Amino acid sequence: MVIDNRSMESVEEEAQLGQESEEENSELSDDELQEAFTKGLLKPGMNVLVDKPKKFVNNVEGLKQCLAEFRRDLPWVERLDMTNLPAEDIISKAEGKVPSPANGEINADDDFQREMFFYRQAQATVLEALPLLNKHDIATKRPDDYFAEMAKSDQHMQKIRKKLISKQMILEKSEKAKKLREQRKFGKKVQVEVIQKRQREKKAMMSAVKKYQKGMTDKLDFLEGDKKAGKDSSQVSKKAQNKGANAKRKFKDQKFGFGGKKSGKKWNTKESYNDVSSFRAKVAHAKGGKGGKKGKGGKQNKRPGKSVRKKMKGRS
Amino acid sequence: MSAFKRKRGGRGPVDKKAKKAKIVADGGEAPRETEREEKNEITVPAPVSSGKWTNKERVLIFSSRGINFRTRHLMQDLRTMMPHSKADTKMDRKDKLFVVNEVCEIKNCNKCLFFEAKKKQDLYMWVSNSPHGPSAKFLVQNIHTLAELKMTGNCLKGSRPLLSFDPKFDKEPQYALLKELFIQTFSTPRYHPKSQPFVDHVFTFTIADNRIWFRNYQIIEEDASLVEIGPRFVLNLIKIFQGSFGGPTLYENPGFQSPNMHRREIRLAAAAKVREKQMVKEMQKMKRTDTKVDLVRDITADVFLTPAEEKPVHIETEAPEPKVSKKKQKPFKRQRMQMARR
Repeated sequence: MVIDNRSMESVEEEAQLGQESEEENSELSDDELQEAFTKGLLKPGMNVLVDKPKKFVNNVEGLKQCLAEFRRDLPWVERLDMTNLPAEDIISKAEGKVPSPANGEINADDDFQREMFFYRQAQATVLEALPLLNKHDIATKRPDDYFAEMAKSDQHMQKIRKKLISKQMILEKSEKAKKLREQRKFGKKVQVEVIQKRQREKKAMMSAVKKYQKGMTDKLDFLEGDKKAGKDSSQVSKKAQNKGANAKRKFKDQKFGFGGKKSGKKWNTKESYNDVSSFRAKVAHAKGGKGGKKGKGGKQNKRPGKSVRKKMKGRS
Repeated sequence: MSAFKRKRGGRGPVDKKAKKAKIVADGGEAPRETEREEKNEITVPAPVSSGKWTNKERVLIFSSRGINFRTRHLMQDLRTMMPHSKADTKMDRKDKLFVVNEVCEIKNCNKCLFFEAKKKQDLYMWVSNSPHGPSAKFLVQNIHTLAELKMTGNCLKGSRPLLSFDPKFDKEPQYALLKELFIQTFSTPRYHPKSQPFVDHVFTFTIADNRIWFRNYQIIEEDASLVEIGPRFVLNLIKIFQGSFGGPTLYENPGFQSPNMHRREIRLAAAAKVREKQMVKEMQKMKRTDTKVDLVRDITADVFLTPAEEKPVHIETEAPEPKVSKKKQKPFKRQRMQMARR
């Protein structure tokens, strides 16, 4: 423990203002301290005990000697070790980025960059080691008829595959939904436009009719144009109606069945009875609401309990 | 198994080379090595391969009591990845650490990976060269095991790994020592009876953020496309000792902070925050009461006051007369009707 005497020095300087100052870093004697105390310059809390900076052992000589004793000069084939910088960053190169801090420091908090760094290092090692391995006649790939136990079981690999597929499915689904949403937005716009157009046409038609009635023109070609337009629009609307009805009908047919015998369709069969794929242990027996969610701690109820709320009301 | 034999059958010349290399390389430690070999040749059946298994490195992988499931899985994974490893029962926490040396001797191992769990949450790993040292103690963080579905690679059980090191390992003496230790521990000896004659995965050791990051990748194609297999973990170096599980300290990591200290600091920071909040609240309360007193009394209020004449105090002794209501005393309609009838 060392006494932090920065503040004391300032005290000392204050005390010695009139006198000539001696050495700057002189230790305070007891007398001086007592004097300062009587003057009221010293107060509790001014001097703080500071931890001594810990000495960390770094015995470089010992390390080197230990390494020299410990090292075993085995041929490379036994050790298969490589020390190398990471391979060139293909992705950032392709994107035309400045080579990010590739030489040395990587940001450990940036997950992607860090993992990429490790990956590239492994890559460089493989690239360098392959010719050496070939020289020593060591294969990196087993022949197709070579069967042996793997580190991960087939079951586990199956699980992984399933997860990958499901992940991809989810991605695709979300993308589809996004597209659909956009389409719907766009569809609404189109609908509004169509209605406006129809109104405009009607207006033009009416004005043309009025003009004709008043005898300002004697041409009747606006009738043809209108007919054509009308036909078109009616066709479009009919199609749209048809489609909508179809989809709805289809769904209903799928839900309730269409044609055929209806009775006895919903009865259980042996297969349906034995099928328990939809059974979820978490949800069954009304277990889900209480135990399942609390443990995960995902969404917690921000609203305080009733008694607390009452109290809060009473306070204000 | 037949394919196994066939594959290795036609490789006579390579083995000769290996033998030669051994004679040249092992000059220093030759007598001890041969002794061990003689001892082993009695118990261990002759290797299946035609090559000679010369590097009799064995690694004991085990743990203390009180490890959690993740550590257990990690240990299991390391054992699958390292065919030259041996297992042992968990060690009692009361035992002193140098007992591990004896266990190694009994198990015939000359390297040791010892996982030490503390407080059921902190995991320490010892990597040691068993009888004579050196040994290093690490804090293990961020463990991901083989069982996780994120890592999609796979490799043969017992195939030999390539070891990839960061160039930073050569720059500082402590890391150079660790590198040698890792190489001797993690590299599977050639022609080890439980190993496969292929090299299909890479262990990478990288130094970042003052820690050593371990990753395991599968080599898929010859053009170095890789997929991670796992496990992965981060080693935070604490100390390097000259002996095995003890002895004089060679290096102490100045950047290391014990997890206890870390947790304590977090707790203290949280407490300080709460305290500060309370203090601010109190201050505001005090301020509020102070200003209220000030606002009630205005100092300048009586500047323009002129003393008014005092009025004589008049005290009423009699009750005031009741007011006469202006309303006419008009009888109700029914009364009027009755009156009219009379």
